[in-house]
Amino acid sequence: MMDISLCLKRPSRMGDSKRMRMTSNFQWLLLTVLLLYLMNQVNSQKKRTPRDLKCITNNLQVWDCSWRAPSGAGHGAAYEVCFENGSHSCYRLEKNIKLPALLPGDHEITINPLHDFGNFISKFTLNEKNVSLIPDAPEILDLSADFSTSTLHLKWNDKGSVFPHHSNVIWEIKVLRKKNMEIVKLVTHNTTLNGRDTVHHWSWISDMPLECATHYVGIRCYIDDPQFSGRKEWSDWSPLKNISWSPDSQTKVFPQDRVLLVGSDITVCCVTQEKVLSAQIGSTYCPLIHLDGKNVAIKIRNISASESSGTNVVFSVEDNMFGTVIFAGYPPDIPQKLNCETYDLKEIICTWNPGRPTFLVGPRNTSYTLFESFSGKYVRFKRVELPTNESYQLFFQMLPNQEIYNFTLNARNPLGQSESTLLVNITEKVHPHIPTSVKVKDISSTAVTLSWHLPGSFAKIKLLCQIEINKTNSIHELRNVTMRGIENSSYLAALDKLNPYTIYTFRIRCCTDPFWKWSKWSNEKQYLTTEAIPSKGPDTWREWSSDGKNLIIYWKPLPINEANGKILSYNVSCSSDEETQSLSEIPDPQHKAEIQLDKNDYIISVVAKNSVGSSPPSKIASMEIPNDDLKIEQAVRMGNGILLTWNYDPNVTCDYVIKWCNSSRSEPCLMDWKKVPSNSTETIIESDQFRPGVRYNFFVYGCRNQGYQLLRSIIGYVEELAPVVAPNFTVEDTSADSILVKWEEIPVEELRGFLRGYLFYFEKGERDTSKMRVLESGRSDIKVKNITDISQKTLRIADLQGKTSYHLVLRAYTDGGMGPEKSMFVVTKENSVGLIIAILIPVAVAVIVGVVTSILCYRKREWEVIRLWKSLQGWKDRAVLVELACLGRGRSLPRSSGRRSCCSRPDVPKELDPWFQAPPSLQPYIQREEGALPPGCQGGLWLAWPVSRVHRWSSRVAQQKFYSRATSTSTT
Amino acid sequence: MKVLAAGVVPLLLVLHWKHGAGSPLPITPVNATCATRHPCHSNLMNQIKNQLTQLNSSAKALFILYYTAQGEPFPNNLDKLCSPNVTDFPPFHANGTERARLVELYRIIAYLGASLGNITRDQKVLNPSAHSLHSKLNATADVMRGLLSNVLCRLCSKYHVAHVDVAYGPDTSGKDVFQKKKLGCQLLGKYKQVIAVVAQAF
Repeated sequence: MMDISLCLKRPSRMGDSKRMRMTSNFQWLLLTVLLLYLMNQVNSQKKRTPRDLKCITNNLQVWDCSWRAPSGAGHGAAYEVCFENGSHSCYRLEKNIKLPALLPGDHEITINPLHDFGNFISKFTLNEKNVSLIPDAPEILDLSADFSTSTLHLKWNDKGSVFPHHSNVIWEIKVLRKKNMEIVKLVTHNTTLNGRDTVHHWSWISDMPLECATHYVGIRCYIDDPQFSGRKEWSDWSPLKNISWSPDSQTKVFPQDRVLLVGSDITVCCVTQEKVLSAQIGSTYCPLIHLDGKNVAIKIRNISASESSGTNVVFSVEDNMFGTVIFAGYPPDIPQKLNCETYDLKEIICTWNPGRPTFLVGPRNTSYTLFESFSGKYVRFKRVELPTNESYQLFFQMLPNQEIYNFTLNARNPLGQSESTLLVNITEKVHPHIPTSVKVKDISSTAVTLSWHLPGSFAKIKLLCQIEINKTNSIHELRNVTMRGIENSSYLAALDKLNPYTIYTFRIRCCTDPFWKWSKWSNEKQYLTTEAIPSKGPDTWREWSSDGKNLIIYWKPLPINEANGKILSYNVSCSSDEETQSLSEIPDPQHKAEIQLDKNDYIISVVAKNSVGSSPPSKIASMEIPNDDLKIEQAVRMGNGILLTWNYDPNVTCDYVIKWCNSSRSEPCLMDWKKVPSNSTETIIESDQFRPGVRYNFFVYGCRNQGYQLLRSIIGYVEELAPVVAPNFTVEDTSADSILVKWEEIPVEELRGFLRGYLFYFEKGERDTSKMRVLESGRSDIKVKNITDISQKTLRIADLQGKTSYHLVLRAYTDGGMGPEKSMFVVTKENSVGLIIAILIPVAVAVIVGVVTSILCYRKREWEVIRLWKSLQGWKDRAVLVELACLGRGRSLPRSSGRRSCCSRPDVPKELDPWFQAPPSLQPYIQREEGALPPGCQGGLWLAWPVSRVHRWSSRVAQQKFYSRATSTSTT
Repeated sequence: MKVLAAGVVPLLLVLHWKHGAGSPLPITPVNATCATRHPCHSNLMNQIKNQLTQLNSSAKALFILYYTAQGEPFPNNLDKLCSPNVTDFPPFHANGTERARLVELYRIIAYLGASLGNITRDQKVLNPSAHSLHSKLNATADVMRGLLSNVLCRLCSKYHVAHVDVAYGPDTSGKDVFQKKKLGCQLLGKYKQVIAVVAQAF
C-alpha cells in the first residue's frame, strides 16, 4: 500500500496544481474503492463463518464459550464444535458451549455451522489466557441493622464450593444513603475461598444513626486465583438491599442516650414531620444538614466531656423542642494502686484508685470485676449512684489451702475497659485487726500477764505483737512478743521487770511474720501493780533546835519507785551508847520528828513502812564537828542551778550534804537538803522553790565517821534582781560650799541581789522643776558619783555654791539592775563677806556718779541764769522776770502800793520750788533788784535751771500775763 | 405495671404507714365502709391549707433546681421544654364544693406523688451528686404523702368518701434520658402552676 501511494504521488509533482489535485483525488478514490471491495469480500467470507469466539468462566471449572453466529444463520442454527483436550471431542449444539476448563496451552477449536451456506468452518486457538474469570454477582444473604449502635450487619455466601482450589477473593461493598443514593462507604474486604461455601459477615458503624435515612448496601467480588492465567474481572454488583426505619408519627431524635468518647464526632438527626427551625448542642447552635423529607441532622465535632446528666442536643420546631442526650466521657483508667490484703486470713480486701474520672455516672459508670485466675472466682463491683468520696474496694472470700492469689481487676464502662493485675501471697499481706479485750492479771508485784483477743485465722503463721508500757512521768517502753498464731482466739503474754505499786498503761498491736503492716493500737489498759516493801530508807537530815536541846529529824518521802507502795508510817529511833529513844508509827504526811536529846552522840535511824513491810533503816549521826576556818562566800546560779564546789577531802567518808534555806528565815532554817557521794567535789543545786531575788544560804557538810562538819557556807541567788527600795539618806552637814550626806543599808529582802554600789547624782535645782525628772539623761550639769565601796555610808560633796539649792539623788544597784532613786533638795549656806562686798560696791559707785553729776549740773545752771539775766534789756524786762518769778509763786504783784509786792511764798508748787532757791552766785543780781521788788520776794528768784524750761515757760506765761495786764493797765 | 412498680406501689406502701391512712384506697370501692385507723385531726382543714401553702412556697424553688440540674438548654427554653401542657393531668375546679375540691385535690396529689417518685428515681441515676435537688424532691414527696393522708381523712370523716379513682402520669422508666428530663420538667412546671391555684382555693 505504501508503494502504491508513493507511485501515485510522483506525477502530481510535475503537473499544474489543479490537475494534479484532481488526478490525486481520483487515484485516492479508486484506491479506496478497491480497498473497500477487498474488505467486503473478506468480511462477507467471515460473516459466513462463526467468529469472535469468547470464553468466560465464573468458577474456573467450566468455560463458557460463545461466538458470533454467521450472517444468515437463523435463530436456532446448529454448530458442530470440535476441540482437542487430550482426545478429540465434537459436540453438536446451537449457540455456545460450556467446556470443562482446558489444560494450559493452546487448544484448537473448530466450529462448523451446520447449515447450507457452504463449508465455512471456523478454527480458533483457545488458551486459558484468552478466558476471562468473571465471578457471579454475590448474593446478599442478609442485611440487618442494630439501630442502637447504628451498625449495619451484612451477610453473604462466597460459594467457595464451586471453585476448584483456594483463591483469594476481594469483596467490594458499597453503602449508599438517602434516596438519592449518595455513596457513603466503599470498602474492600478480603477473604479466601477454601472449597466450601462460607458465609461472610461484615459490619459497619454508620456515622449517622440508621434511623435518620435509608441505607442501601451492594457487594461484588474479584477472585484473584494465582493459578488462573486468564483475565480476571469484577463481578457484577449484587442487587441492593436497604435498611430503613419506620418512623411513627412522633418526632424523634437519634441516637438516643449515646455514650461517646470525649473528642469524637457524632451526627445527630431529627426524624420529623415538622419543619425544624434550629438545632443546638447545649447552648451552641449548629448548622442543619437536610436529609430526606423534613428530616435534618447536625454534625458535632470534638465533643467535650459531659456533665453528669449528659449533654443535651435539641432540635427546635415551631412550638416544641425535641432532643436527645449524649454522654461524652472516657473509658476507665487502669486501676491504680491495686492492693490486696487481709485482716484475718479469711477475707481478702482489695482496694484501688480508679484514676482519671470517666465523667460517666449512673448506669454508665465503671463497673469493676475482681477475678482470681487460680480459682476462677470473681466478685463484682457496681454502683449506679456513686457517692464521690466512696472508696473503691472489693472483698474476696479466701479459699481453703490457697495462699497465692492472682487477681485481675477489670474495669469496664460503655467506652471500654482496662485492667490491673496483682499476684499476691496473702500470708505475707496480713494487716491484723485491732486487738480487743485487753486484760491484765497479777503474777507478782513486778510481773503481770496480759491477754487480748485477735480475730483471725492465724493458725499457720507467726504473730509478732508489740506491747507498749507507759508509766506516769516515764518514757514509754516497747516490748516485742512473738507467738504462734491460733484460730480466732486470745493471746497471752507475761510482762516482768515492772515496778511495784506503779500505774501502768498497756496497749498492744500486732503484725504477722513476715511483716506487712501493724494493726492499730488496741485501747489502753491501765493497771496498778501490787505493793512491795520499800526498797530504801528515807533520805534523812537532822538539825539542832535553836536552843540546842532538841534534835529535829527530817526525812523526805520516798519516791514512788522506792516506796513500792503507799507509805503508811515511819519509825524513828535515836541510839547512843547509853540509850535509845524511839518514835513509832509517825503517820505518813509527817516528815519530821523532834526528840529531846543531850549532847551525846547519837545515831538516828528512820524506817518507812507500807502495807507489805518496812524499809531498810536510813541512819545519820547527830554530831556536828566544828570548823573554825569558815568564810561566807557568794554564789549565783549558772545555767540550771547554783553550782557549789569544794575541795576533795579524804576524811569525808560517807557523803556530802548540802542544805539550804531562805536567809531571811529564823533558825533552825531548813528548806531542803541534798546528799552527794563522797567522791564528788561539786554539785548543782536545783529546786522549784527557788525564787529570783531571794537570798539563800547554802551549807556544805562533809560526813565523817563521827558526824558532819560544816565545810562551806555560801549565800547565793538563783537570779539577782534590782533593789526594790532606794537607800535612806540624810544630809548630815551643810556649808556654803559642801554637803555631807549619810545613808543607811538596804535590808537583804529588799536588796534582792548582791549590792555592787551606789550612784549619787547631784545638780543645781529646786523642787518642782522639770530637771528633777531627768537626772539620768547624761546632761553635763549633772554630776554623778559611783560609789563602789559598799561599806561607805557617807559622802561629802564639795565645791558647791553658797545659798544654792541642790538636787541630790541616791540609788543602789546590784547585778540585777539599778534600784529606785531617792532624792532630796538641799540649799547651801550663805557666804556673808561676799554679800557685803556685793552691796557696797554698787552703792559707792552710784554715790560718786551722783555727786559728780550734781556738781556739773549746778555749774551749768548758774551759767544759764547769768546768761539769761544778762540778756534781759532794761528794767522792764528784768521786772517781767521778777514778775514771772512772782507768777511762778502764784501771786500777782500788788498794785495799790505802786510797788510790786509778791512772793509771800506760802504755796509755791513743789516742782518749782528749786527755782526759787536762788543759788548764791545769783544773789548779787537779785539783791540789786530787791529794792524794786515787793517785800516777800527777797531771795526767791531762780529761773535758769533747766534753761529750756525757763525759756518755754517764761515766754508763754509771761506773754499771757504781760499782755493781759498791759491791757488792764492801759484801761486803767 | 411499670407505673405501679415505679411510683404507685411505693406511694401506697408509704401511705399505709402514715397517720390516718389506714385504708386510702380500699379494694371494694363502692360499698366500702369508710373508716380510718386513727381519728382524724380536729383541725384537719387547717393542716391541709398549711400543707398546700408549704408546697406552693417551695414549688418554684424545686422547679428552678430541677431545670438547672438538667443542663443547657433547659434554663433558657422553658417555654418549649418545660411548658406545663401535661395532657392527662387531673382537673381542678376552684369554685366547686369543698367535697369536689377535696376529691380533685386527692387526684392531683396522687398523680403528682407518683410522678415525683418517677422524677426522684430518674434524677438519682442522672444526677447522683445533685443532693439539694434530691432532698427537695424527697421533702416535697413527704409533704404530699401527708397531704394525701389528710385529704382522705377529711373526705372519709366528713363526706364518707372511701374511694377516689385516681390516674397516674406516664411511667418514664422506659423512656430515653431526654424524655425523662423533659417530662419531669413539664410535670414540675405544671405542679408549680396548679399548686398555686389549689392553695388559693383552700
